[in-house]
Amino acid sequence: MLSYNFKYELKLLLRSRWIQLLSLIVLLLFGFSAFNGKQKVEKRKNIIVKAQEELQESDAEMLKLLDSVQRGMEVSASRWTLPTSPMAVGNYHPRVASMEPQPMAFVSTGQADLFTHFVKPTATGDDFALNFTEMTSPVQLLFGSFDLAFVIVYLLPLLIIAFSYNVLSAEKESGALRLLAAQPISIPSWVMQKLGLRFFWMSVLAIAALILVFLIISIDILAQMNLVIGLLILVLGYMLFWFTLAFLVNLWVGSSAKNAVAMLGLWVLFVLLVPSVLNQLGNTLYPMPSRTLMVNEMREVKAEITKKQDEILDNYLRDHPEYAINDTSQKRSFWHRYMASQQLVKEELEPVVSSFENQLQKQQDWMNKFKWISPAITVQESFNHLAGTSSEDYENYRKQVMAFAKNWREYFVPLLYNNKEFTQKSYATLPKFQYSSASYQLVPVALTLYLISIALFGLGIFSSKRQKTKGILN
Amino acid sequence: MITKTFLKETKELLRDGRVRISLIIVFILLSVAVWVSAQQYQNVNAQYSAAKTAEREVWDNQGEKNPHSAAHYGTYAFKPKYPLSLVDQGVDKYTGTSIFLEAHKRNEAQFSAAADQTGLARFGDLTPDFMLLFIIPLLIVLLGYNGFTKEREMGTLTLLKSQGISQWKWIWGKWMALFFPILLITAILFLVAGILLSNLQDFGVFKWESLFLLFAIYVVYYIIFINLVLLISIKTKKSGISLVASLCVWIIACLAAPKAASNFAENKYPYPTRQEFTANVLKDKKSGLDGHNPWNKEAKLLEEKVLKEYGVDSLSQLPFNYDAYRMQKGEEHQAKIYLKHYNHLKNQYEQQSDVYRDLALLSPYLPTRFLSMAIAQTDYATHWDFADAAEDYRIATQKFLNGNFAKNSEYGNWGYQADAETWKQLPDFDYTPPQLGAILKQNTSNLMVIGLWLLGSFGLLFFIPKNL
Repeated sequence: MLSYNFKYELKLLLRSRWIQLLSLIVLLLFGFSAFNGKQKVEKRKNIIVKAQEELQESDAEMLKLLDSVQRGMEVSASRWTLPTSPMAVGNYHPRVASMEPQPMAFVSTGQADLFTHFVKPTATGDDFALNFTEMTSPVQLLFGSFDLAFVIVYLLPLLIIAFSYNVLSAEKESGALRLLAAQPISIPSWVMQKLGLRFFWMSVLAIAALILVFLIISIDILAQMNLVIGLLILVLGYMLFWFTLAFLVNLWVGSSAKNAVAMLGLWVLFVLLVPSVLNQLGNTLYPMPSRTLMVNEMREVKAEITKKQDEILDNYLRDHPEYAINDTSQKRSFWHRYMASQQLVKEELEPVVSSFENQLQKQQDWMNKFKWISPAITVQESFNHLAGTSSEDYENYRKQVMAFAKNWREYFVPLLYNNKEFTQKSYATLPKFQYSSASYQLVPVALTLYLISIALFGLGIFSSKRQKTKGILN
Repeated sequence: MITKTFLKETKELLRDGRVRISLIIVFILLSVAVWVSAQQYQNVNAQYSAAKTAEREVWDNQGEKNPHSAAHYGTYAFKPKYPLSLVDQGVDKYTGTSIFLEAHKRNEAQFSAAADQTGLARFGDLTPDFMLLFIIPLLIVLLGYNGFTKEREMGTLTLLKSQGISQWKWIWGKWMALFFPILLITAILFLVAGILLSNLQDFGVFKWESLFLLFAIYVVYYIIFINLVLLISIKTKKSGISLVASLCVWIIACLAAPKAASNFAENKYPYPTRQEFTANVLKDKKSGLDGHNPWNKEAKLLEEKVLKEYGVDSLSQLPFNYDAYRMQKGEEHQAKIYLKHYNHLKNQYEQQSDVYRDLALLSPYLPTRFLSMAIAQTDYATHWDFADAAEDYRIATQKFLNGNFAKNSEYGNWGYQADAETWKQLPDFDYTPPQLGAILKQNTSNLMVIGLWLLGSFGLLFFIPKNL
């Protein structure tokens, strides 16, 4: 029976031009969105490369200048920008702390349009002044990006709905169901086979289209085998979920139109409503403290501390006797006072800053707990992780940059307090930034998706057994 | 005949369980959305006024200080929330809320809410605008998709034909039956919003006419959807197909077109990155007058010019502190540089807006979205307006401080300390957003596009169907 079903179903799908239409739509959507994603990644890469090149040029110039100064030659630069002063190097020659795109970054824009991909922390700049948001038109952020994740999370289910809402009801409405009922196959397993075949064809189409698109936009599939397979498993899991829903709706609901409405209702629920309600709840339960009030607090702390700069420096030197002893001249400049008080500002504001991080972490935990309510959230999140563009990735980057900024500052502080000069030799020992991406376990997420689908499917089979007594033809 | 059709359809809708449930769901969600937004609005505004007063206090109580130190110390401009953001939050979530105003530098607005949220926020919030722009059109699709197909499917079409009903009267009846519940929901929502807003303490700029206009725009948006959904229902033979087709229209209009438009706009007219922007500004700054660096080429030229103008041969003979004067000139020069670069940014944004406008012909969602944000004063243009006002205030502040410095001290006296009372003389930053008339003038093209959609969809509905 399966082979008959398979043969006729395929013939039917081909003759009704469903397969042809679907392939075209899927290919177009995947192609357009992947192309968009690729373009964004290229832009991001170019920006980082350019920044690195600029840094190399300015470093070369700095070294030349250092050389001249050390040889006692006359130089044309302003006194306070001379790289012999450690603070000048720390401030005017910052390193590029960049976040290179992951190999699959084109899959999902995620938060990539919101955050910047490189910053240059300086020795005296405070960490609050480091702006991690990108200069993007807010309209663009509001509308979002037409990326592969959007096509798969939002549009693919709709294609599945259009492809499967009337599998049983159309037979009923055209009167073919009576003929079918005379065949030696139970209706639920017939619906299952029919949907299974559609799932099969849809999967073939999706995989072929994805691979084709990857080839066209020249993604190195072999090198990224694991990631590509992870992506495909996830896509299939998500499709299976929607086909399972279609199976249930076909069994439980009645006419084609009613089926379509029910499926759409589920789509709206999972893709639009659950995410926005969860987000709202997360925000209400763990509200972010006010940034405007944070600004106030920061200002007050700074005002307080500026007034007592001399005292602070004394205290600082008391805490760090190594700086006081080594320096014979005891020369103290603006920078000495500034760095000492900056340290204090940081300490005082630590609780305020971490309150934001804590709330964000709580919201994130809340989302991780409830994301299973909607596979759309699960899949979108997984795509973001796969692409390295999730909130966590940017949080991770931010933390790494902060740690680097601290290193950078601490590199110069001893030089400053010991009144030592920055030399050509020191250049090689300057701290460097290397972003290391967090790893993400995709398989458990995908497995859970399959489990959810299987559970739903079991529910359908179980209920259809009970329904049998009523008779399917009535 | 129109009323009869209307009554019959309304009765049918009310008796349909699915319709009742979906109406109830929409109503509950809307109420929650309005309630949450109202809370948020009050919170944000309380924080805003607290921050504003506190910041002013910090500024006023700086004590004796050199005016230029005060300029570097700077002050903050905070962006208030406007009453109609209760209805449409627009891009507020993605724009910063505070701008640091300091010497030599124009800063971007900092701290957008979206940067402090999880990735979930990108799915959208449960706000009235989400309901108004996405869910109610979907409700229209749900209520109207089988308006005509059901007659065909139930076989009542032949009966109807024998009644001798004129086609347009019949369509009008159905149209009214679909329009009425939507109008009712929207009207209730706006009425509640209006009452809420007028009862809030210091609702400032809230005006009923803006709210009414917003209401009218949404009604037009819904009429367009009703027309399209009914048209599809007339032209298709099966309810299922009609539903899928209407849904396609909804997806293209509300989801796909805006996203695709944003990609097109970005590719065609890209923004520089923050780092690029800063680097470009820095490059221009270096080649121009530096207020702090007297050995700079431009600074030398200025020196000669001023000496000649006053007919003296040394800077100390000038009747004011030349250091402060040079700084003010440098400030003016830098302000010009910023203006140039921000104008470039604004230009890109305007070009991007044109892309959105062109694509609005594919999607009635786009002009509605832009109009709604504009009237609610939560759009990008309002944000620009605020940022520009803050910049003007920054320039004025610098002038005030440098003026004080120049007047009250002599050349070379960097140790000058202005009186502790000086800071109070600086006027407050007072910002009024663009008024309704100006907003409408700015958005004429959006109004035209939505008008075109209205007429076009009516035309299609009443002139195309002949083959029932």
